[in-house]
Amino acid sequence: MSKINATPTPINYITGDANLNALLSVFVLTALICALAFGDAMYSGANLQSMAFQIPEFGFVALGMMLAFLVGGIDLSITANACLSGIVAGFILTGSWLPGLDEGMRIAVAVVTALGLSTLMGLFNGLIIACFAVSSLIATLGTMTLYSGIGMALTGGRSVVGFPDSFTAGGIACLGEVPVIFIAFVIVMVLMAILLERTGGGRRLYLFGGNPVAALFSGINNFRMNVATFTAIGFLAGLSGLTIIMRVNSAKVGYGDAYVFQSLIVCVIAGIHPAGGRGKVIGIGITTLLMQMAASAFTILQLSPYTTKLIWGLMLVLVLGLTRDGRRLLNALRAPFIKNKTLTDKDSNPGEADNG
Amino acid sequence: MRIERSEGILLGIILIYAVAVALVNPAFLSIETVFDLVRTSSRDLILVMGLLLIMLSGGIDISFMAMALVSSYCATAAMMQLGLSSIGFLLIFAMLIGVVMGLFNALLISWLKLPPFIITLGTMNLFHGLMATLVGTRTFGGGMLPPSFNAFGSGNLIELESEYGIIGLSLSVIPVVLVIVLTWFIIYKTMLGRGIVAIGNSEEAALRLGFRPLLLRLFAYGYIGALAGLAGSIYICQVNAVYPDKMIGEELMVVAGAVIGGTSISGGKGRIFGALLGIIIIYLLKSTLIFLGLSASWNNLFVGIILVLSLSFTAWQEKRRNERHLLFKIESR
Amino acid sequence: MQQGAQAALKDGAAKPLLVEAIGITKTFGAFTALDDINLMFKGGEIHCLAGENGSGKSTLVKIIAGTYTQDKGTVVINGRSYKELTPAQSMAEGIQVIYQDLSLFEHMTVAENIALGHLREERSALINWQQVRAIAAAQLERIGVRLDLNQELREASISTKQLVAICRALAMNARVLFMDEPTTALSGREVDRLLEVMSELKKAGLAIIFISHKLDEVFRIADVVTVFRDGRKIGDFPSCDLNAKRLSYYMTGKEISYPKYQRISKAQDNFIEIKDLCKKDMYSHINLGIRPGDILGCIGLLGSGRTELALSLFGLNQPDSGKILIEGRETALKSPSASMEAGIALLPEDRSTEGLFLERSVAVNSSASVIGKLSHGILGFFDFVKERTLALSGIERLNIKTTSERKLAGELSGGNQQKVVISKWLATKPRLFIMDNPTVGIDIGSKAEIYEQAQSLARQDMAVLLLSDEIEELTANCSRIAIFAHGQIVEILDEERLKDPAIGSYIAAVVAAGGKQGTAQDTAAAGTYNPKEGRA
Repeated sequence: MSKINATPTPINYITGDANLNALLSVFVLTALICALAFGDAMYSGANLQSMAFQIPEFGFVALGMMLAFLVGGIDLSITANACLSGIVAGFILTGSWLPGLDEGMRIAVAVVTALGLSTLMGLFNGLIIACFAVSSLIATLGTMTLYSGIGMALTGGRSVVGFPDSFTAGGIACLGEVPVIFIAFVIVMVLMAILLERTGGGRRLYLFGGNPVAALFSGINNFRMNVATFTAIGFLAGLSGLTIIMRVNSAKVGYGDAYVFQSLIVCVIAGIHPAGGRGKVIGIGITTLLMQMAASAFTILQLSPYTTKLIWGLMLVLVLGLTRDGRRLLNALRAPFIKNKTLTDKDSNPGEADNG
Repeated sequence: MRIERSEGILLGIILIYAVAVALVNPAFLSIETVFDLVRTSSRDLILVMGLLLIMLSGGIDISFMAMALVSSYCATAAMMQLGLSSIGFLLIFAMLIGVVMGLFNALLISWLKLPPFIITLGTMNLFHGLMATLVGTRTFGGGMLPPSFNAFGSGNLIELESEYGIIGLSLSVIPVVLVIVLTWFIIYKTMLGRGIVAIGNSEEAALRLGFRPLLLRLFAYGYIGALAGLAGSIYICQVNAVYPDKMIGEELMVVAGAVIGGTSISGGKGRIFGALLGIIIIYLLKSTLIFLGLSASWNNLFVGIILVLSLSFTAWQEKRRNERHLLFKIESR
Repeated sequence: MQQGAQAALKDGAAKPLLVEAIGITKTFGAFTALDDINLMFKGGEIHCLAGENGSGKSTLVKIIAGTYTQDKGTVVINGRSYKELTPAQSMAEGIQVIYQDLSLFEHMTVAENIALGHLREERSALINWQQVRAIAAAQLERIGVRLDLNQELREASISTKQLVAICRALAMNARVLFMDEPTTALSGREVDRLLEVMSELKKAGLAIIFISHKLDEVFRIADVVTVFRDGRKIGDFPSCDLNAKRLSYYMTGKEISYPKYQRISKAQDNFIEIKDLCKKDMYSHINLGIRPGDILGCIGLLGSGRTELALSLFGLNQPDSGKILIEGRETALKSPSASMEAGIALLPEDRSTEGLFLERSVAVNSSASVIGKLSHGILGFFDFVKERTLALSGIERLNIKTTSERKLAGELSGGNQQKVVISKWLATKPRLFIMDNPTVGIDIGSKAEIYEQAQSLARQDMAVLLLSDEIEELTANCSRIAIFAHGQIVEILDEERLKDPAIGSYIAAVVAAGGKQGTAQDTAAAGTYNPKEGRA
């Protein structure tokens, strides 16, 4: 686990990690292929900008899912949470709730309420998981149904529309040529990377994710770890929800539903281990870019959404297969050049041979 | 028949709910409600039997809705191509296609040794994408389908006269009952079923007794594939149309049903009665909220509440057991 | 028993040779796990495989069970030679291994657990529940035990599970039965019952081979002891020719005796004082004080409340009533972090899951308990440099044998792993160190080092609570010993009493009698003690 205990330097931060190496190579390769195949269609300023607009709403979900993966769990409720907080924000923004606030106040209250509510929903997830020791997959399946149920009950399945222009302006605002929401996403990502990889709290999270029992016996408060993780996921869901309604100019149950599954795929490709305790934020960053680039290519190629589905599914299976057998494959290719016998996993650890 | 505590609680909930609804709207208390419930829930009652077997084996499958769609769609398309019209062909084709997809899932899970949730998530997209790319995405409306589809989908086994006209028990009850009996037989009467339960309890231990996890898994995932073909066929007959994008997205509700019914996500534990109750409770809410004067939009809210309560309760019992035995097993997975 | 063993060796020819290993060699990479092993297992004989961890005994069992394939040599079973054996072939030849984890099915009934293997072997396609119960009943009959056939296994006690595992092996027509550490989780009476069952099976002509670290069991029941060291066979010895000292000499190749601990601290005030502590079904009315410089030993059978009390002190088992005073002040120990705050450390019994992050480096493990102290600023930036310093000082102080502080903890040997856990806790500068069976499964060399460490910590005024099953370990290291039975402390032996050379057998007697001193003498004569505290 040298990727965690090594004193990180900028150079070995990425190169010291085989998984990230592979990911980066794939990314560079894809970027090159795109350049050859699409040229300006892909790398025009306009297309790059539109990609940057599309990334954040999904990126926040992926970051949330990464946190769930890190503690060995899954959070299915992220987009239901995002939608519900978006809907509540929408009601405030349109003035259906709390009428009488002026526009500036409405926006401020809406944003604060949405983030507060989404964080609370995350907290609720965390409390169920920690108090009752429910597996997070099942717990969030429940709360996913619950949150989208509340959203449905509030809206009757209809869209909430009619936000103030000054709010939706945030969704198209740019600093120079770079969308503000993209900058916000990058800032959140960097912050998360710092928190996870450079702080004590992050270290606790990785340890807890890898082996909760040993964490408990090392004085790490597991209850708090679970609750904090899922609360943070809730906050990220809120960010995603706000970004979505800002860009779409409406709020509705079901927006971004596909993001849950896509974010699972992103996490797996990014090398976030589903068993917990392993993976880096930068991996999510690269993979999100990769996915967006691919999505962009699909749009240029005018592929149907079904074909896109096929490709995602294929990619997930391939990546899983490569992470499992890639090393063995590589060893097999290298074998003629290396004289020493390469050990298989099973035989490489004599220390375990005698422990029953 | 033995009734587990969680099943008792579910029965209690159903009873209280039924009484409450009946008090508000006496029209609820009719045989029609029951017939309607059976008809609409038959697809998921069949699917949950397959899912139960999968979850007993310690796995999970969320691609079954995709399998149901893909198999029924492909079977229909093939029949149109070949000019076949018998409902038997539909069932056979769909189940065969389902089995193939199920076997593929099993092989992939055995090869990759990663959480089946994630793998079947991938294959769900894969199957659907393949279907759309290779077979097409046109919708077959009622007029284009062989009449035998509709005859089966709207046919009744029993018909009763009532003040609202003729009401009937859908023909689909036959496959549902057959599947339940078959699943019961597999789980409780065959070594195959016991082997599946055994690998769900402990794959290592099952291996040491000479069970072959790969074969057992192939069977379980193949079984749910076949059931998906059957359930998909029943569904398209009932709807009397074949769409290229229906069903997908409803898989988690079936998983929810199984979980409400006390099926353990970690494997080895689960009962037919509980899983059926779980699905029935979901459909009961779905179809009867209207009697309470609530729109269908409230459906998820109620299912969500019941789901959260029941899974918290089950897990909490387990946690207390562990605490009593000073077992520090923390399950956040 | 011992005469029987002698006789057994003499007329060994009369006993059928069931399994013979000829020239077995097995290597893992550069590591030689087994080197040219020749061994015979005979029917009607109880054979013990002894040796330290890593000496190769489990590897041999796995080769005979077909899990591993030997590099060189032949396994002859029932006269048939195998260069390569599959698990199925091995089972078909009547070889059954009961692993430490028992490999049972928690959500199935006792009856099904017993019968399932048999039915699987018969290749039945259908399952007949009457037959299942009949098979289970027949096997239980055979070993003379009554169990509730319909009980769900997860509701059953460890000892029941152990018996179920044996019955299952018998139902599968076992002729050669390997048992890996069968008594680890059993209490004294349960061990007796198990050993009785084993001698019954021996009479029935089975070959029983057990792997055990517990010397007293070895002497009580084995006919032949084969000692392994570093992948080589040292020899086959009739157990009557061995005693504990000789056996440990054969196992380690060196004579080891432990230095006796003398308390030198002047401090007379208790660091921690437990007053009338109760927890339903676990322990009741515990009163105990530990001074700095004390090494207080705790011994008792399963369910005596010893481990339960230790976990309460570490905040993992909330007591129902009573007080815990730390340096005179009442302190609530509600969580491990609260206990750490109060200066308490716990070395858990299960090193590989509770003590260590096996997939993390030594450095990460060493700092796991002091992450807060190594973090600075509002965000809590982690000090990687300090972590490394801390790890290196731990490695030096405890003489941890590792190539680097970056090596994964899982790659170290058992003894060094345990030292990493100790180093993790020393980083918190604890005032009370609870050690729960610190030397289980650890080679004798490391054992001595761990004792030395515990003693030197106590000399520096740390209070140590040593939970152990080994009486020798306790008498050598402790300044006081508390004997637990049925959730209560039945006797506390002070330093004066511990000077009595015969104190060991006295402790054994009290423990075995469950605290009733009146009957202690008889039980001592029978030599039945096997204190073992585990979490069921």
